[in-house]
Amino acid sequence: MTHKVLGVLATSIFLSAAAYAGSIHGKVSGVAGESVVYVESVAGKTFPAPTQQPVMDQKGLMFMPHLMAVQQGTTVEFLNSDSVAHNVFWISVGGNKKLGHNMGTWPKGQKKSFKFDNPGAVPLLCNVHPEMTAYIVVSPTPYFAVTDKSGNYKIENVPDGSYTVTAWHEGAKNKSTPVKVAGDTAAEFTLSK
Amino acid sequence: MTTRLWLFMTLVIAGLVGLVFPSRSYAIPAFSRQYGTSCSTCHLDFPKLNDFGKAFKDAGFKFPKDDESFLKAPPIMLGAPAQAELWPQVIYPGTIPGLPPIGLRFNTFFQTVSGNRNNFNAQLPAGTPGTFIPRTDFQPGYFSIFTAGNFGGGIAFWADDDISVAGANSNGGLGDGYLKFYNLGRVLKLPTDSLNLRVGQFELDLPFSPARSWNLSGWDIFDEASVGVLNGLSPQQNVNNGFAFTSPAVGAEFSGGHNYGGYHYSVAIVDQNTTGASASPANIAPANGVAFVSDSNFKDVYGRVSYRFNLERDPASRNEVQAAGASGPRDHTYLQFGTMYFYGRSVQRFSGALADGVTPTVITAREPFYRVGGDINFNYRNFNVFGVYLTGRDQNLLPFTPANGSLPTGFTASRAATFGGGFVEADYLARPWIMAIMRWDRVSSTADRVNALQFDPANLPPSSFFSPYSATRNRFTPGIQFLIHANIKASFEYQVRPQQIVYDPASGERLTGPFRTNTAVAGLEWVY
Repeated sequence: MTHKVLGVLATSIFLSAAAYAGSIHGKVSGVAGESVVYVESVAGKTFPAPTQQPVMDQKGLMFMPHLMAVQQGTTVEFLNSDSVAHNVFWISVGGNKKLGHNMGTWPKGQKKSFKFDNPGAVPLLCNVHPEMTAYIVVSPTPYFAVTDKSGNYKIENVPDGSYTVTAWHEGAKNKSTPVKVAGDTAAEFTLSK
Repeated sequence: MTTRLWLFMTLVIAGLVGLVFPSRSYAIPAFSRQYGTSCSTCHLDFPKLNDFGKAFKDAGFKFPKDDESFLKAPPIMLGAPAQAELWPQVIYPGTIPGLPPIGLRFNTFFQTVSGNRNNFNAQLPAGTPGTFIPRTDFQPGYFSIFTAGNFGGGIAFWADDDISVAGANSNGGLGDGYLKFYNLGRVLKLPTDSLNLRVGQFELDLPFSPARSWNLSGWDIFDEASVGVLNGLSPQQNVNNGFAFTSPAVGAEFSGGHNYGGYHYSVAIVDQNTTGASASPANIAPANGVAFVSDSNFKDVYGRVSYRFNLERDPASRNEVQAAGASGPRDHTYLQFGTMYFYGRSVQRFSGALADGVTPTVITAREPFYRVGGDINFNYRNFNVFGVYLTGRDQNLLPFTPANGSLPTGFTASRAATFGGGFVEADYLARPWIMAIMRWDRVSSTADRVNALQFDPANLPPSSFFSPYSATRNRFTPGIQFLIHANIKASFEYQVRPQQIVYDPASGERLTGPFRTNTAVAGLEWVY
């Protein structure tokens, strides 16, 4: 009897886990370089903000990395590794200019943090070195991935269900497509500028 | 006398040409390429430097700290650094820039002159064609090449040349060409950056650089030479000094300190050539025919001292290259004072006689002269106001012919030739790409006014385009400049010229009333 109960329990657990075993994979074409693919917000679902704080560095008059994807609610640390003064600012988040922000300037070796509470692409700029640029793409859900340089991506641990998935690339028009995730699911995107 | 008259006219015409043909200016695109950064990292409205650009220049054309971490084009090693330990058994290792650090520049101009522009022809007999100045005119500028950088080990270089123009110095050709040894003081255990040495041809260490001015027309006081009174009806002055601060100097300069905060000094020892005459054929010059051009044994001396107070409350911000603003790094709020002094000895050689009044010999007038001045520079956020006052004095030695002789045997001291003046300019950076300028230039020279009377009908000047109405010439020059891109600029300037007047060369009577030849100038410039 105990074995049967245990067996049923194990099966239930296995089936429950299988419900979160889906993934979305594919390729973003039509553009060169890295892109970001993410699942749009899901009605009725909220996701806890991650505790990890990624670092956006300024080194050698460049933002590093050039492209970063984070979940909504993430706090990003901005580090200045250069022995020259830098500045970080953005004029919009996801095109919303009301969300523009200037973080000022800070010396070498120090960090300043900012919590990104709004989804969308954030184009980072430096007002002292106008050639410097980078992007932070804020995903409304924890289901996102940065493609490789060839455009290939895979988003793991996506529960089965119906979603809207969006692909973003610097300078290109976003493209969204409905995706029904059932296990390992493919979703291809072709972007254009 | 005729030669002096020609020299006088040449000098003033050259100065006035400087008003319509703009001064040179240099931003260095080669640095943009080396560091992969925009011109605006170092420049405001190019070539005007921001504080970081001043620090970059002070450091020997490299980033003040951790330069190697910013270079996108790594330098070429002329020897591994470890070879330095083997010196003097080996050549001391250095570097050359990885990319040829060459920049190119071209500009083009358009001017429109007021209706008074041909008034000077009133001096000519009726029916005589004179100089014709058109109402509007297009004019190409210079095509220039410039190169600068660092050879490692604290050695920097600079050379610029207006390759579209034959000639030299202010007539085109080579501008600056020098090697600069930075931080020599470390050998003598002196404080960092307290002793540098520059050798070659260079613009003197002026508080504001005419050669690298962002204005379409130059600052008049820096163009002012000193030619004494030539007019036969006024007491004569045997002063014939073609030196002006816009002339490149050839020699050596010691300097130290910084231009972005704290003290700065320079002392230069340079060739003298006040007559403008070519030197005698060189017998020890290099085989390529380059000639030495001094006209005197004497070496002129120039010195400058300045101190800049950065006014930020926070000492960390105050002592950094740039101030930490709430919306990003910016130039400091600062107040800078400086003084400069130039001492030379102008030379004039004449056919004369020995004391017997008969035996021919060459007599030489050696006339010491000095230029002394002060400068001030204040900056607050996007507003910069600055100015210079300068005065010059040349000793006047008149040839003396004894009663029993026909040739001069010596000289007697007489009234010195003097002038003074300066400018005040305000620049406002309304946007990072728009700069509004307002300037007032003033030069006062009695000799210039008297010489304009032209009481010598037998020696008419080639052009009367300089007949100051009074000894003091005031010029107001509003302007505005737009950066179309970081390396392309459109400039506009309206020159409210000093009042002038034309006199009958024989009688001194006025042929015209006082008038101005106001000029509007537009310039388009790109650097690459």
